[in-house]
Amino acid sequence: MRALKIAATGMSAQQMRVETISNNLANMSTTGYNARRAEFADLHYQQMMRAGAVNASDGTVLPTGVQLGMGVRPSAVSINLQQGSLKETGADLDIAIDGKGYFEVTLPSGVTAYSRDGSLKRTGEGLIVTSDGYPVSPEITIPADARSISINPDGEVYAYFIDTEEAQLLGQFTLASFTNAKGLEALGSNLFSTTEASGAPILSTPGLDGLGTIRQGYLESSSVDAVREITELIEAQRGYEMNAKVISAADQMLGATTQIR
Amino acid sequence: MDSATYTTLSRQMGLWREMDLVANNIANASTTGYRQEGLIFSEFVKGATDGRSLSMGHGNIRNTSFQQGAITKTEGQFDFAIEGDGFFLVETPQGERLTRAGSFALSAAGDLVTPDGLRVLDAGGAPIFIPPDASNIAVSADGTLSSEGRLLGQLGLVRPLDASAMTREDGVMFAADGGVEPDDTSRVLQGFLEGSNVDPVTMMARMIEVQRAYELGQSFLDTEDQRVRDALRSFTMKS
Repeated sequence: MRALKIAATGMSAQQMRVETISNNLANMSTTGYNARRAEFADLHYQQMMRAGAVNASDGTVLPTGVQLGMGVRPSAVSINLQQGSLKETGADLDIAIDGKGYFEVTLPSGVTAYSRDGSLKRTGEGLIVTSDGYPVSPEITIPADARSISINPDGEVYAYFIDTEEAQLLGQFTLASFTNAKGLEALGSNLFSTTEASGAPILSTPGLDGLGTIRQGYLESSSVDAVREITELIEAQRGYEMNAKVISAADQMLGATTQIR
Repeated sequence: MDSATYTTLSRQMGLWREMDLVANNIANASTTGYRQEGLIFSEFVKGATDGRSLSMGHGNIRNTSFQQGAITKTEGQFDFAIEGDGFFLVETPQGERLTRAGSFALSAAGDLVTPDGLRVLDAGGAPIFIPPDASNIAVSADGTLSSEGRLLGQLGLVRPLDASAMTREDGVMFAADGGVEPDDTSRVLQGFLEGSNVDPVTMMARMIEVQRAYELGQSFLDTEDQRVRDALRSFTMKS
C-alpha cells in the first residue's frame, strides 16, 4: 500500500521542479535575476528487518536487513548566485555590479531591502530611485542643472555642469554583502530581505572587501540558461510520468488482490 | 492443505515490499546523491513433521547500489560532486553521517552546511568556516578549499569500512555503523552535482515484473481456492 503514497510524494516533487523551471523561464529577461533550482532529499526510512537481527536458531544474523524508504521531499530551492552577463545599454543611470554585492533600497515602509537590479531612475526632485520608485541608500540627488553624470567603478557619482569644468562629487554608492547570500528571502520585484539564515549585511564601498565594482551604462542580464532549463523540464516531465506509472501498477496489484474470492 | 496458500502469501508480501522499494527509487530519481535500493529474496526453509520440508520465498536482504550517478554541471560555488567511492562527512545531532549530496551553502555564521542546515566537517571532524570577505572560492580535487591562494580548509572525504552495514537516514544520509576510513582516491569536482544513481529503465522493467508476478500469485491463489472447493464438493457429493 505504501507504493501509492511514495509515488505521490514523487509526483509532487516533480511538480515543484516544473514550477521552479517555469519561474526561471518566465524570468529569462529579468534584469539581475538568478536562476533557482529545486533540490530534493529522501524521506525517513522504516525498519522492516533490523540489520543484525537473529535469523535462525543457530544464531545467524541478517547482514543488512530491510529498510523501506517513504519517498521524497523538497529540501531547498537554492538560488544560483552566478553572475549574469553584462549587457551594454549606454544609459547613464543603468549600473551593473560586476562581482559580489547588493544595492541597499529603502522601501516605503522604512524597511531596507537589497537588489542587484541597477536600472535606476531619477524622481522629479533628482533623487536616484529604482524602477519601482524606491530610493537607493545612501540617498544621492542629482541637481536639475547637471549636464551629465558619471559613475566610476568605486561607485562615486559625479555631476558635470555647463558653466564649470570641474566635476562635482554628489555621493558614493555602498554595496551590501552577506555571509550566506543564498539565505536571502526574495520579495519579488528583484528585491531581497535579510533572514536569520543570511546573516546581517556587511556594508562597504564597491571594489573593497571582496565586493564587485560598478559598471555604468551596463545592466546585468538574467543568469537563466534556457538550454539547461529545457533539459531539466524534460527530465521532470518524464519523472512525473514514471511516478504516475507506479501508481497505476500499484493500483492494478490492489485490483488483483480484491478479485480473490 | 494450507502450505501452498501460505507459501504464495509470503511471496505476495515480499512482492508488495519490493513494489514499495521500486516506488521509492522512482520517487527519488531526481534526488541529489541518492543511492538506488534493491531487495533480494531468500529461501526460508521450514522442516515439516514427516521429514519433508517446506520452502518459502522471503524478501529480507537489502541491496544498495553504490554505482556512480550522473554528474551534472550547475556552476554553483558550493556545489560539489565526488568522483569515486568516497562520502562527505556531516555533523548531525545523532553523530557523524555520510552523504554524497554535495549541494552545500553557508550558514549565517559562515560555516559550510547542507540544505538541511547540518554542518559539513573537514578531515579532522571540525566544521569548515568560510570568511565573509572570501571571494572566488576554489576547490582542488582532494577537497582543499582556498580563496585567492589563501587556504580555508579541506572537505573530509571518508569511505565506509563495510558499505553493506550502512543504514539509510532521511536527507540522503547514511550512518556508517561499521566505521569509516579516510579516502584519498576520490576526487571532488566544484560546480557539479551528482544526480541519483537510479536507473529508470531497469526500475520500470522491475516494476512490471513485480506487478505480473503478483498477479500470477493471485491467480495461483484463485486456482488453489477452486481446487479446495472442488475437493469439498466431490467429497460431500452423495453417490
